[in-house]
Amino acid sequence: MSMFTIGLSGLNAAQSALNTTSNNISNVYTPGYNREITILNESTSRGTRVEDIQRQFNTFVAEQLNNAKSQSSALDVYSNQVTQIDNLLADRAAGLAPLMQEFFSSLEDLASAPSDPAARQGVLGSANTLSAQFRSFDGYLQDLQSGVNGQIKDEITQINNTTTQISYINREISLARAQLGEAPNSLLNQRDHLISELNERMDIRLNIQDGNTYNLTLPNGQPLVTGDTAYKLQAIESPNDPQRVIVGYKEGARGNGNVVALDEGLISGGALGGLMSFRSETLDKTQNQIGQLSASLAVAFNNQHQQGVDLNGDQGKAFFNLGQSNGYFNANNDGNASVKVAIDPDNIDALRATDYSIKVTDAVSTPPTFEVTRNDNGSEVETSFDAASNTLSFGGVNVEFVDLNTAQTGDQFEVQPVRRAAGGMDSAIIDLDKIAAASLIEREGDLDISQLSAASGAFTSNDEYGLDVDNAGNLTVTSATAFTITRNGDPFDPATEALAEGDVVNIDGLSFTLDSLPGAGDTASLNISRSDASAGDNRNALALQNLQSQDIVGGRASVSGAYAAIVSDVGNRTNIVQVNLDARQGLTDQLNAVQQSESGVNLDEEAANLIRFQQYYQANARVIDTASTIFDTILGLRS
Amino acid sequence: MRISSVTIFETSTASLNRQQSEFLKVSQQIASGRRVVNPSDDPQAASRAVGVDQAQAITEQFKDSRVSARNSVAQSESIMNSVTDAVISAKRLLVQASSDTLSDVDRESIASELKGLYESMIGQANATDGNGRYLFGGYKDNAPPFVKSADGTVQYQGDNNVREQRVDASRLMPVNDNGITIFKSVPSGAGYLAESGKYSFDAASNKFERNGFNQGNVTFSGPQIRDVNNEDYGSDFRVNVASDIGGNLTYQVERFDTGTSTWATTDTASANLPNGDWANNINENGSLSLEFGGVAIDLEGTPEPGDQILVAQAGSEQREPDLFRTMEQAIRVLESPADNPAKKADLRNTLNTSMRDLDNALDNVLTVRASAGARLNELDVVDAVGSNRMLNYTQTLSDLVDLDYADAISEYSLRQVGMQAAQKAFVDIKGLSLFNYM
Repeated sequence: MSMFTIGLSGLNAAQSALNTTSNNISNVYTPGYNREITILNESTSRGTRVEDIQRQFNTFVAEQLNNAKSQSSALDVYSNQVTQIDNLLADRAAGLAPLMQEFFSSLEDLASAPSDPAARQGVLGSANTLSAQFRSFDGYLQDLQSGVNGQIKDEITQINNTTTQISYINREISLARAQLGEAPNSLLNQRDHLISELNERMDIRLNIQDGNTYNLTLPNGQPLVTGDTAYKLQAIESPNDPQRVIVGYKEGARGNGNVVALDEGLISGGALGGLMSFRSETLDKTQNQIGQLSASLAVAFNNQHQQGVDLNGDQGKAFFNLGQSNGYFNANNDGNASVKVAIDPDNIDALRATDYSIKVTDAVSTPPTFEVTRNDNGSEVETSFDAASNTLSFGGVNVEFVDLNTAQTGDQFEVQPVRRAAGGMDSAIIDLDKIAAASLIEREGDLDISQLSAASGAFTSNDEYGLDVDNAGNLTVTSATAFTITRNGDPFDPATEALAEGDVVNIDGLSFTLDSLPGAGDTASLNISRSDASAGDNRNALALQNLQSQDIVGGRASVSGAYAAIVSDVGNRTNIVQVNLDARQGLTDQLNAVQQSESGVNLDEEAANLIRFQQYYQANARVIDTASTIFDTILGLRS
Repeated sequence: MRISSVTIFETSTASLNRQQSEFLKVSQQIASGRRVVNPSDDPQAASRAVGVDQAQAITEQFKDSRVSARNSVAQSESIMNSVTDAVISAKRLLVQASSDTLSDVDRESIASELKGLYESMIGQANATDGNGRYLFGGYKDNAPPFVKSADGTVQYQGDNNVREQRVDASRLMPVNDNGITIFKSVPSGAGYLAESGKYSFDAASNKFERNGFNQGNVTFSGPQIRDVNNEDYGSDFRVNVASDIGGNLTYQVERFDTGTSTWATTDTASANLPNGDWANNINENGSLSLEFGGVAIDLEGTPEPGDQILVAQAGSEQREPDLFRTMEQAIRVLESPADNPAKKADLRNTLNTSMRDLDNALDNVLTVRASAGARLNELDVVDAVGSNRMLNYTQTLSDLVDLDYADAISEYSLRQVGMQAAQKAFVDIKGLSLFNYM
């Protein structure tokens, strides 16, 4: 071989290398670009040849980095969302706690001057302010819910775009491989970049088939991109709750398959996963907690208000209204039953800050059997079913089934007792006279009882009841009119049955628990009468004020204790997410650095390469020049 | 390890961002004066701060409650002070009136002075607080509790309840005393008194009603307590005068049996109560000394058949002490002329009864006033405790969430330096490029 060809091969190599270097330099800040190096090899016929423009890409590092990015992105989105709730609770002067304190303070003013219109107006005013604040809290959280719904839709649109693009590129790459034997680096870079972007939106599994074809699947194995086919995700209403947007998967690539709802916990990475985790871990829980707080306060207050008499002499009515409890039937149910949900005012201690899922385990038996689980921790709760009213009771909630006879085994229902309770909280009283500061019941006598209370409508038929109980539990009732008496919920006939200790006795709506029977040979008496509605009677106002110290939320916490728990929960959650995010971010930064060290362009390095290959080119040009001079010498021999 | 240009740039910007956000955080803390701005800064402290806030608010509530309680109690106490003065003046007038040298006209002028005191007592009993609510009506505070009825007597329209207020976490304090406690009660250990006149028992009102005056001129002295442990001590008694077949005056002591609501001639041990012929039982002083139920009474003078002397326990439910009735009786007897022996005896007896009644009433008002004073003292003590507690809460709250300015300002300078250093490093690194030397 002559010097010419050798020199030429060197020139070509130098040009190619310079091209590669300039490509690297111009693409230094292009996202997703992997640097290329020119691989030179000795040619079989002397000289050099360009073996390959090798793309510096490490699949393993890329996979690790994608996973890390997916986690970081999820935590980042979570952190953004939860910080909004954190900020909402940050202002101690404007939050719920000071307004609740002001409300109870106004009740104290009412207790010192029960008939004073200014004190009564103060109670109404602070009740309205408190209700407004509860409503605004719930409104804010509900806005966050809509925001999450909207963002899920946006993410899914972007994901679908990206998967479609990936499928196109897959096709281009396989065509190019078929034509040229290898795929152009730019297409490969683009595909890897798209996959990295997709990982930031949701966590996917990448399967490289034959070292060439990229197949993407969901975490549960369902295909997302197979070769040149892309399957679509869809934002759909949850079958459990029509107000909730979740991710659905469209089977069949040509747009003619069913849409299957994906389990909410399936996608946990990427922005989409972050949104779904935020919603199910924190947003639902906080909304339920605020709802439970407002429901407990409102129902306990209403119950106590009912034990009082207002300035018109009437028994106190409901003071607060609450937002409606929601219940939904699952869209995939075979049967046609639906549910109506209401909070049980007599069992407010059992009310919890969670949604429930009801499943009909056996629809044909009488009565039908149900399985009820809590949505926040998956545990099963005990239920009791009243066949006469088709009502299932559990956790302080009464669920009434409509068209229960059409329900099939396996039907599911979702019950949200307190989710929107705060959103509808309102004071039901506008007339100052209707605040019941005086006590309704006057009690005399030495019978040992506790928890004496009046239901709505007590004392309508009769103003006074006299009860005498002897040591054996025999009861004699003195009443001007006929009366109905129950014991522990069952009808009781004083003539034939006797009372025992611990019995809950209810006579015409007045109920009490018999703590102990009188001693041997003694008869204890109890006289329950309706009190006069005196203007200076403040006993019910004192009892209402005392609610602030009682454990009325879930039977375990006072209202301020429950609020402090919410603040602590949100603060802790935000803190944990931020700490995790920082940790993850550190890991991601490390992996980024590793990936960049492999695939990133260093301008100084390329500058040195430029100089190097320039010299290389000059040297090879000099070789050709020398060869040319030699040839000229040979040609100049004759003359 | 190989560093790419992108890594250099990204690391520098990340470092700049971090320094800036930390610097911003510290300046936010300094501007708000709080270490815990968001609950996420220190969730435990934020949650405990809510609790301490609540405790502070409750303490403040109780403080407000104590202010209004103190107002009520202080007002009651000052009115009772005036009532005390009025009762003392009335007693003095009665002592003056019992002198034998006064004429009917003199007695009438004393009666008119008593009337003035009586009206002022009614006015005090119907006192209101600043808001127009009556102090002494119990729960019925929207109408005057003591009302003059058609027959000229004063009736109590209020009830027997006492309004309470929560002045501390576990203390419900009564803030007013009702009319019954002040004007219609006697302190414990008040003893017995006697009243002349014909009495019958009215089952509907469970009270003794006088339906006639004695025709004889019997006066009594006493009654004195002889034996409080006597089985019958505490019951009401009556000395009933009758005449037997021979026209002789006889007397019979009767005991009011609350179980059967009748007058019995035997005591609870079923022994006969003192009875017999009047004239035969006069002792050497010329008076009839009777002792029954641990109580002794001396009767002087000559009764007529049908005369009665009621000997009732001062706080008896059937006789019911009533300051206004006492005054009404005293005024009545001083206004009418004492021109026959029976009326003279009635004058002596009524003044005697009224003075005893006024003594009991005075003791009672003083006792209630003392309890009001004790309550005012208690409020002061609770106030002091409450303000101490408030200080503690403020301190705790500050420890939990407030900023330590010294720490914060040194951190601020630190972060500032850090930020400037990061910025300088960025500029320096940017300037290092091989292209500058080509």
